[in-house]
Amino acid sequence: MAAATPTSYTDQIEYTNEMAEFSPEVVEEMRSHVAKYPPERSRSALIPLLFVIQRERGWIDNPGVNYLAKFLNIEVTDVWETATFYSMFNLKPVGRHHIQICKTLSCKIMGEPEITGHICSKLGIKPGETTADGKYTVSLVECLGSCGTAPMMQIGFDFHEDLTIEKVDGMLDELA
Amino acid sequence: MSIEPIKITINGKEVETEKGAVLIDVCRENDNNIPSFCYYQDLTPQASCRMCLVRIDKMPKLQTSCTIKCTDGMVVTTQSSEIEKAQRAMGEFLLANHPLDCPVCDRGGECELQEVIFDWGDVEERFTEYKNVQPEKYLSPIVANDPQRCILCKRCTRVCDEWMGEDAIEAGNRGVNTVIGTYGGWLNCSQCGNCIEVCPTGTLLDGVYRHETRPWELDQTISTDTYSSDGMQLSIGSRMGEVHRIVARDRYVNGLNGEFLDVKARFAHEFINHPDRIKTPLIRYSKGGKLIPATWDNAIKFAAERLNEYRGSIGVVASPRITNESIFALGRFAQEIGADSQVAVSDRQSMAAFYANMSVPLCSHKDIRHASTIILIGGEPEEEQTYTAKQIRQAVRNGGAKFIVVNETPIRLKTQASQFVHLNQGSYDPFALAFAQPDAVRATADTMGVEASEFEELFDAINATEGDLIVMVGNDLSPAAQAAIAGCAAMLGTESRRVLLHPLPHYNNSAGAIDILPNAASVADVTSASKAFLIAGSLHEPSVLSGADFVAVQELFLTETTEYADIVFPAASFAEVDGTFTNNAGNVQRVRKSIEPIHQSKPDWMITALLARELGHDLGFEFSASGVFRALAEFVPQYEGLRYPDMKDESRPAVIKHQIAVQPDISAAIAALEDSVSGMALGRGKNDVMPPIGHKLHRITTMTGKTAQFHLLANGNPKPDNLLVGPLDQFNLDGSRKETAETTEAAVVGVGDRAHIGVNN
Amino acid sequence: MEIKAIGCEPLQLKRVLIENGHTLEVYRETGGYKSLETAFGMSADAIIQEVKDSALRGRGGAGFPTGMKWSFVPRDSPKEKYIVCNADESEPGSFKDRYLLEGDPHALIEGMLIAGFALGAATGYIYYRGEYNYLIDIMDEALREAREAGLLGENILGSGFSMEIHTHTGAGAYICGEETALLSSLEGFRGHPRMKPPFPAVEGLYASPTVVNNVETLTSVPQIIEMGGITWRDLGTEKSGGTKLWSISGHVKKPGVYELPMGYADMEKFIMEDCGGMLRDDKKLKAVIPGGSSVYIMNAGQIVGKGVTLDYEGLVEAGSMLGTGGMIVMDETVDIMESTKNLTEFYKHESCGWCTPCREGTDWLVKIFDRISAGGGRPEDAQLLLDICDNIEGKSFCPLGDAAAWPIQSAVKRFPEDFRHWLITKTNGDLN
Ligand SMILES: Cc1cc2nc3c(=O)[nH]c(=O)nc-3n(C[C@H](O)[C@H](O)[C@H](O)COP(=O)(O)O)c2cc1C
Ligand code: SF4
Ligand code: FES
Repeated sequence: MAAATPTSYTDQIEYTNEMAEFSPEVVEEMRSHVAKYPPERSRSALIPLLFVIQRERGWIDNPGVNYLAKFLNIEVTDVWETATFYSMFNLKPVGRHHIQICKTLSCKIMGEPEITGHICSKLGIKPGETTADGKYTVSLVECLGSCGTAPMMQIGFDFHEDLTIEKVDGMLDELA
Repeated sequence: MSIEPIKITINGKEVETEKGAVLIDVCRENDNNIPSFCYYQDLTPQASCRMCLVRIDKMPKLQTSCTIKCTDGMVVTTQSSEIEKAQRAMGEFLLANHPLDCPVCDRGGECELQEVIFDWGDVEERFTEYKNVQPEKYLSPIVANDPQRCILCKRCTRVCDEWMGEDAIEAGNRGVNTVIGTYGGWLNCSQCGNCIEVCPTGTLLDGVYRHETRPWELDQTISTDTYSSDGMQLSIGSRMGEVHRIVARDRYVNGLNGEFLDVKARFAHEFINHPDRIKTPLIRYSKGGKLIPATWDNAIKFAAERLNEYRGSIGVVASPRITNESIFALGRFAQEIGADSQVAVSDRQSMAAFYANMSVPLCSHKDIRHASTIILIGGEPEEEQTYTAKQIRQAVRNGGAKFIVVNETPIRLKTQASQFVHLNQGSYDPFALAFAQPDAVRATADTMGVEASEFEELFDAINATEGDLIVMVGNDLSPAAQAAIAGCAAMLGTESRRVLLHPLPHYNNSAGAIDILPNAASVADVTSASKAFLIAGSLHEPSVLSGADFVAVQELFLTETTEYADIVFPAASFAEVDGTFTNNAGNVQRVRKSIEPIHQSKPDWMITALLARELGHDLGFEFSASGVFRALAEFVPQYEGLRYPDMKDESRPAVIKHQIAVQPDISAAIAALEDSVSGMALGRGKNDVMPPIGHKLHRITTMTGKTAQFHLLANGNPKPDNLLVGPLDQFNLDGSRKETAETTEAAVVGVGDRAHIGVNN
Repeated sequence: MEIKAIGCEPLQLKRVLIENGHTLEVYRETGGYKSLETAFGMSADAIIQEVKDSALRGRGGAGFPTGMKWSFVPRDSPKEKYIVCNADESEPGSFKDRYLLEGDPHALIEGMLIAGFALGAATGYIYYRGEYNYLIDIMDEALREAREAGLLGENILGSGFSMEIHTHTGAGAYICGEETALLSSLEGFRGHPRMKPPFPAVEGLYASPTVVNNVETLTSVPQIIEMGGITWRDLGTEKSGGTKLWSISGHVKKPGVYELPMGYADMEKFIMEDCGGMLRDDKKLKAVIPGGSSVYIMNAGQIVGKGVTLDYEGLVEAGSMLGTGGMIVMDETVDIMESTKNLTEFYKHESCGWCTPCREGTDWLVKIFDRISAGGGRPEDAQLLLDICDNIEGKSFCPLGDAAAWPIQSAVKRFPEDFRHWLITKTNGDLN
C-alpha cells in the first residue's frame, strides 16, 4: 500500500474524493439489501454491498468505497476495516476471469498441484498474478467447501469440480 | 448503584472487594502484579493479548483476568509455573515478529512490552525464522507509525472510538497481516494524539517530538493544561531549557484526566521556545514610535513614573489564562493604587453570574462519567472542554447515560445525544426562561423555534432520572441565562436524584479569575473610564485602547494589543512559572516550572509586584509564587487554608467550595430574561451546519509549523505565516483547495475533510 | 460424488435425492410444512421439550445440545429475538450443508420458522459463506415461494405468528463460522469473535437474544416435530440422537455425502465398503481426519479392526472427535508432515488476528513448516512444534486456536515416522 519508508505522511496511497456513480437499478439493488436489516443497523448490509461494488467496478476501488461510506453513513475507514478482513474482496484490480484454485487438503491430495501447474504454465503466470492482457488472474485459495469433488476451482462465483487436465483445457478454451 | 462487598482469595490471601470488580484491578490493588497489554481501565475489554492469564478454581483452562468479574468466594492463583509458562509464551509470540530495535525506538524506556520482558529476564529466543516487515510511515503530520512494532492491543482504536467518538483509526487486514491504520493512510480526525499516548509500544509516536531525545533524558514536570478549563494534568518534558514534548501521565497514578489530552494540550507547545518570544522589556518613547528594548530597571521605572501621573484613572485588565497568583497580584495592585472598581478580566464571556447563583454544587469529571442524565445547554465542549466531552461520550457509550443537547448549532456531540433541542439563533435567553419557569414555555417556544413537545420530552427525561442529573452551562449564555439556570437547578432534585452543575468557561483559568475577582467590571467599562492601563495579556478588541494615554502590557508575543502599548514587559509562559489554575470543577491545581523563564521574561505576578513596589506599594509576597498563593488563600474565602503542599497529589485535587444558595434570588435574572425575550423577533432562523471538528483550532493552534503561538488570548496573535493542511485535504496559502498531490510540510491539525473552512485566521 | 443414506431411510437427504426437491411443490408433496402447522398447535415449551427429547446435538461442529441452547433464550425479554442459520460451512473436509441448501431449502425455512415460533423471533438470517454465493439464488427463490404461499411474512398460515427470513453473505473468512464472529460479520464488521459470556442466546445479533444453529441442525427440526423427539432420537443412540450427514473426501472410490444413523458401526466398514474402499486398490489406508480439519488425525491402526462407532462418543473414545463429520481419507502416498503443513497454512490464513497466540502462533508454525519442507528441519523442531501448540491451545480467544493446534499435536505423535523423515533422516542426508 504505502511506498517504502516514506519520509512524510503525504507519501501514502493516492486518495481521492471521487465518488462512484451507479445506475438506478443498481442503487435499487443496494436499497433492497439495506432493507433486510433494522433501519439503524444498515451497516449490516456492508458485505453484500461490497460485492455489488466489486461486481460493478471490478474491485473495491476508492470511488466505490467513498460511495458506500456515504450510502451507509459511515466513515471510509469503517468500510476499509471490514473490506480488508475478507479474502473475497479484491483490493487491487484483478483479471476479468478470476480463477481461484482450492489448495486445501482434500484438493491438494487429489491433484491440485498438477492443475495449478498446468493452468499457470498455460497462462504464463504464477499464482497471485494477472496476465498482461488483464484477462486472467490465478489465485490459490483455502477450502471452498467442495472437497467431495476435489480438485476444484471457482471462476467468478461458478464452481468447477472434479477437475482433470482435459477439463481445465476445455474451460480455458471456452473463456478465451 | 449499590456496592456489594465480597471476599475473594488471591494466592491464598483473602481480600475484600466489591462484587463485579474487574479481577485484574483487584489483583493489582493487592500487589499481585499481572502483566497486560490490551486491558485498559474503562475501555471495552477485548481480552486479545492473552497476557493476563490466571487460574481460577473450578474453571477450565486459564482465564483472562481482565474479563473476569469478581464473585464472592472466588479463589484465584496469579503465580504458578503453569501461569508463568503461559504468560512467557504470550511474550514470546508478541516478540516473534516484533523488531528488536529498542535502541532506536522513541518508546524505548517507556515501552510496556520492554518492561514486561525485562521484568522476566532470562528470555530464550526460540524464534529463529524471518520476521515480517512493514515500512514506517506517517499517519498525519504529528502521528508517526511503525506498524511492525504493533502488538494489536487496539487501545488506540478503542480510545479513538470511545473517548473521541472519531472512529478514525481501525484495524485492517486479517490474521498476522493485521495492521492499525486508516483508509488511504490518512488520519482524518482532530489529531488529539490519544492513540499515541495509550500505545504501549513504539508503534504510534509523536511525530513532532520524534528522534529529539530519549525519554529518560527529559526532565518531567507535572503541570496543568494552559488551554482548557477542564484543567487536564500533564507532564512537560524539557531538556536544557527547552520543552520537547507534553504527554499525559501514567493512567494509574495521574490526575483527573488519566491519559487523556487533546491536540492543544499535547502538541501546542511550540510557542514556549518560539523565536518570536519577546526577549526584553520594550519601551515606546513617543506615540507612533517604535518599541525599543530596555533594561528591566529602566522599564519598571519608566512605567511607574507614567502610571503615577494617572493615579485615579488607571484601569487594570487581567487575563483568564494566567495563574491565580498573577490574577491575584493584579487585583492587589488595583486595590493598592485605589483602582478597585477599575479591574476587568478579558474573558470572552464571563461566567461570574453562574458562579454567583449556584443552587447546587459543581460536579467532578468523574461524576460526569457516571451520570444518569446530562443536559448540555450551549457550549461546545468537544472544542473547548475536550475532557468534559470525553466524559460525556463515555457516560453515553459505556455507561448508558441519557444525554440531551440544547444548542443553537448542531454541534457534533449531538450525534451521541438522545435528544437534540435545536434552538433558533440567539435563543438561549428564552430557553433559560423556560427552563427556570417551565410555565413560560408556551410563551417562549416560538421565539426559540422549538415545539412545546420537545420541552416536555426534556422534562420527562429529567423526571425519569434516578441518580445524577448534570446540567452543563456553556459560556455563550448571557449572564441572566447563566444565573437563571444555575439558580433553578436545585428545583430539579429529588430524594433519588442528585443535581449537579458543570460550567464550561472558555479559558483555562476563567474559573480562577472569577473566584479571585468576583466583582470585576467589564473591559468596556474599564477602558472607557480610564486613561492609563496595566494589561496582562491581550484584549479581544484592542482598538478600545486607541484613546488611551498610557498602556503597559505583559505579554509573550507582540500582538495587536501591544501595538497600542507604550511599554511591553516580557511575560513567562505557563511552562516557566509556578502557580495554580482553577478548573471548571473547582479543582485548584498546580502549574509547575519546567524551564527557567525564556530570555528576560518574568512571571506575570512578579512584573505586577515590581511595578507596585516602584509605585510605593509592597504587595508583600516575598517574591515567591507560594507566598502569593498564601496571601491569596487568606484573601479569597473559597481558598482558605490551602497551601501548595496540599496540592501535591494530582489524583486527589484540592477542591474549593463555592458558595451555594439553595434558593438563590434569581428574580432579577428572570426579569432580565423576560425583558430580553419580549423584544425578541420571531423566526431568527436556524444554523443547520454541523461545525467540523477542530473548527476553532486553526485560530489558536498551529502544530508543526514554525508559526507563532498566541500567549494570553486568541486574538491579536501573530498570524500564521504558513498554511493549514488537513489530513485529507490540502490547501493553498490563500485558503483554496490544492488540486495536485503536491506535498507541503507545514501543517495545522484539526482540519479533516469534514472541515471545509478557510485558512485565514 | 455419491449422495446416499445408509442404514436408515433418507431423512436429511429425503428431498436432496428427489428431482426438484428444492421446489415448494415437491416439498409439500413430501410432507413439507406439516410440522410447522403441528408446531403452531403446540406451546413453545412443548416444542423445546421435543427438541430436548430428540438428543439433537448441534451439527456445526461443537455438538452442543440444541434443545438446551434454545432454552437459554430469555423469551420474555422485551428485545427483538433472532434466529440465525450458520451456513458458513468452511471447515476443510465438510461440504454437507451445501447439498441441503441446494436440494432442500424449504426444510431450512421450515426449521427456522419453527425455531422462530418457539423462541418468539420475528426475523431470521441465513449467513452464507461468500463462496456459496451461487446457492443464495436458490434460497431466495424458495423464500419467495414460501412468502407467496403465506408461509413466510405476516400472520403465517393464519396462526398470528409473523416472521421474515433473509439471506446474507459473508465474503471469505472461515472464522465467520464461529457463531459470535458470524454475528460481528452479519452486523457489517470484521469477523472477530466476541467475548462469551454473554452468550448469543442472551446477547447476540444487535445485542438481542439470538439462536445460531447450523443448517443441518435446523433442517432436523421439522423431522423431530413430525415424528416426535423420542422417535427421532431412537434412530440414533441415546446420547447422539437421529441421523447425521457425513462428508467424505480424499482417497476413496466414492466420495460424497452420506446419511448415517448415529452410532453407525463401524468406521472401517464405512470407508472400506460403503465408500467403495481405497481409491487406488494398491494403496493402503494411512490416515483419516474424521470430523473436519479441526480434530485429531487418526492413523490406520486406530481404525482398522477397532470397531469405531460413528457418533460423538465413539469418536472421542477412538481418539478424535466427530466435529462436522467431514471425513478426509488419506492413503499411504500422503506425507503427513506435508498434509499438516497444508492445514496449518489454512489456519494461519484464517486466523482472524484478534488474539496473540493464534495470530502469531500460526504464523510461526507455518514458518517452521516452510523451513522443514525446504530441507531445513532440525531434530528439536518436533518438540518446538508441540510446545508452540501447547502455548496456543487453551489460551486463545476462540476455539480456532485450539483447532490449529490439534492437527499438529496429533500428527507429530501419531505419525512420528513422517516427521522423523523430515527432521532427521532427510536433513542428515541432505546436509551431509
Ligand atoms: C473456528 C470455528 C469455525 C466454525 N465454523 C462453523 C461452520 O462453518 N458452520 C457451522 O455451522 N458451525 C461452525 N462453527 C460452530 C459454531 O460456532 C456454532 O457452534 C454453531 O454454528 C452452532 O450451531 P449448532 O449448535 O447447530 O451446531 C465453527 C466454530 C469455530 C470455533
Ligand atoms: S483464536 Fe484468536 S486470532 Fe484465532 S481466530 Fe480465534 S480470536 Fe481470532
Ligand atoms: S489484558 Fe487480558 S487479555 Fe489482554
